[in-house]
Amino acid sequence: MSLTFRIATVIYSFGMMSFALFVQSTGILGLKIKWRLLPVFFICAEVLQWISLGISILMTLIGINEDIASSSLFDIFCYTSTAFILGWLLSRNLRVPLIHAITASILGTFIINTANSLMVQVVEEYSPLFDRQHFLVFIHFYIPYTLTLVVAVLTSFILKKSEFYRYFSALFRSRFRSIFTLFLCYVLMCIMPLLQLIAPETTPDAGYATFFFSLIVIGLFLIQFAAMYAAGQDKIKAQEETILQQQAHMALLEELQQEIRAFRHDFTNLFSGLTLQAQEGDLAGIQDFMKRTSSYFDEKLGNEIAQMDGLNNIELYPLRSLLATKLAKMRQMHVKGVLEALNPVRKEQGMDTDDLLRALGILLDNAIEAASSPNGEVHIVLLQEEKSLYLAVANNYDKTPDLNAFTRKGYTTKGKGHGTGLSSYRRIVARCRGCASRTYLKNGMLIQELHIPAV
Amino acid sequence: MIPVYICDDESLIRINLEKIITEQIIILDGDMGPVRALDDPNDLLEAQKKDSVPAIYFLDIDFPGKMSGLELAQKLRQYDPRGFIVFITAHSNLAFETFRLRLEALDYIVKGDRNAMTKRVQKCLESIVERMQAQRPGQGNYCTVKILDTVRHIPIDHILYLEAVGYRHTLRLHLDDELLEFNSSLNHFAKQLGETFWRCHRSFLVNRSRIQSVHLKEQTVEMDNGDICLLSRKAKQEYRTD
Repeated sequence: MSLTFRIATVIYSFGMMSFALFVQSTGILGLKIKWRLLPVFFICAEVLQWISLGISILMTLIGINEDIASSSLFDIFCYTSTAFILGWLLSRNLRVPLIHAITASILGTFIINTANSLMVQVVEEYSPLFDRQHFLVFIHFYIPYTLTLVVAVLTSFILKKSEFYRYFSALFRSRFRSIFTLFLCYVLMCIMPLLQLIAPETTPDAGYATFFFSLIVIGLFLIQFAAMYAAGQDKIKAQEETILQQQAHMALLEELQQEIRAFRHDFTNLFSGLTLQAQEGDLAGIQDFMKRTSSYFDEKLGNEIAQMDGLNNIELYPLRSLLATKLAKMRQMHVKGVLEALNPVRKEQGMDTDDLLRALGILLDNAIEAASSPNGEVHIVLLQEEKSLYLAVANNYDKTPDLNAFTRKGYTTKGKGHGTGLSSYRRIVARCRGCASRTYLKNGMLIQELHIPAV
Repeated sequence: MIPVYICDDESLIRINLEKIITEQIIILDGDMGPVRALDDPNDLLEAQKKDSVPAIYFLDIDFPGKMSGLELAQKLRQYDPRGFIVFITAHSNLAFETFRLRLEALDYIVKGDRNAMTKRVQKCLESIVERMQAQRPGQGNYCTVKILDTVRHIPIDHILYLEAVGYRHTLRLHLDDELLEFNSSLNHFAKQLGETFWRCHRSFLVNRSRIQSVHLKEQTVEMDNGDICLLSRKAKQEYRTD
């Protein structure tokens, strides 16, 4: 067998593995495969594998204990670094959190390795014997590695279809949980090389591989189950929140009704006076009355009705309930809230709804808090345009805010431990492609604007 | 001379307003005119392009069957981002916050009582004159920023510095009393702004005329509002040779 053939075979197997790993990890993350990234990762992985192979050969040549040289530690090193590179690449280019991407690629490595060893055993077991070397190589390398890729494509397709990432991301809700998940996946990945280290004499066979494969399946089921449970909890929480928000909305309606009742009462009284004046033919008095009462309704109920109009124009329901809650909060804190939404705000926006709610929530909370007392005012403007959604939150203030301090991490007027709102707001805006934000002072108001591209 | 346009489909209001505005311009002795009154918003859009900008626009809030005042104002703004827009409305409870923030509309005038209208017009024109005078010194040098479909012209001497944030091509523009954040690249602005700006770091582009001091030892550049920008080793050498 020529050297080129051998090298080509090794390159092919490495390549297949990295390709499979790539597909698997994007599948876990539930993303579309970005072909542009593949060659980059392919080259990185190939280089890494050759380096570790080279070092191990070198160590054998120098005569260091062969056990160490070919030991599983090299495998672990190789897997870890490849997984980290892949995780970094994915998180950078596909805009997923780094820890998600790294965990996904570690989990992917484990799945691919297990699938690969299973494939090798199966092919060996069921293939007829050949005495030609090329055929042997073909069976030992080409077929199983290609089959691994097929398995990877298949599983990643299934994971994508079953929206695995939704559950997967639920595993990263808290810092502790995400570190635990990462650790668990890492341990899974290291099991095989470690086993070889502990018990080198166990010869891998089909049964052994099947055992591992079933371990994966059980593991995946467990993950899915745990994540489904977590997602269910989140859903309940979200529903509770919606109920609270609806209650706030109801409170607004009730208040409006009370006002209307009071208004009706007032009006009957006023009109009985007017009737008297009319009977007496007091034209000047009637004119005076008209002047006084023409703006009465607007003064009393104009703002509430305008708020309702604005809310009704928002078709994105979670946003509507967020605004209803915040308007209720403003009433509670005796801050005058003005909401304007001239055009219907569409359901689909260029920003993830959760992000949009968080961003607007931060802006509103800040505005309510910073609005001057006792005559606090917060104005909210939403304007759906053809190509974008325009959002503005304006508040008056007691003390002129220092705009340039806004971008400093942890800027706050509230002392230590606060000030995470604005920096997470900036992070959310930076994460959204095409979004733009503007902060400025005008006529005694601090105005925060946000432009979100339409879908 | 700054052209003045009135656009309203009610002829009575139009004629009335034209009279009031012409009178007030004479009283104020402002550099404004001629006053043109139109009934069709499309005619206004055409007329706008024939004369100079910035201009002053008095617009009805709605043109039934044609377009809304908001739409008209947005179209006018595209051609004249620094013009002055005043809305005319029949009732006082219109969504003025939207107009004020989104279109930077100046004010609104409630149709009806002539005296009240005159007072409001006077106030508007006065504030326009004030603004024009405030704008005069920095005229000529503007930096164009396009955010989604809105184009803004920012006077260059209002810019402190530009900062690239993160690796997602987000740019933060620091102005006097304003912060802008959008997707763009520093290189683009370095090219547009030319020599008046200095690339003192890979992710900073500072306005030379707004630098307070350069701290070589701490490797920072201090701006005249107290903000600190980073100074790269390469820029330090550049600074030394200058």
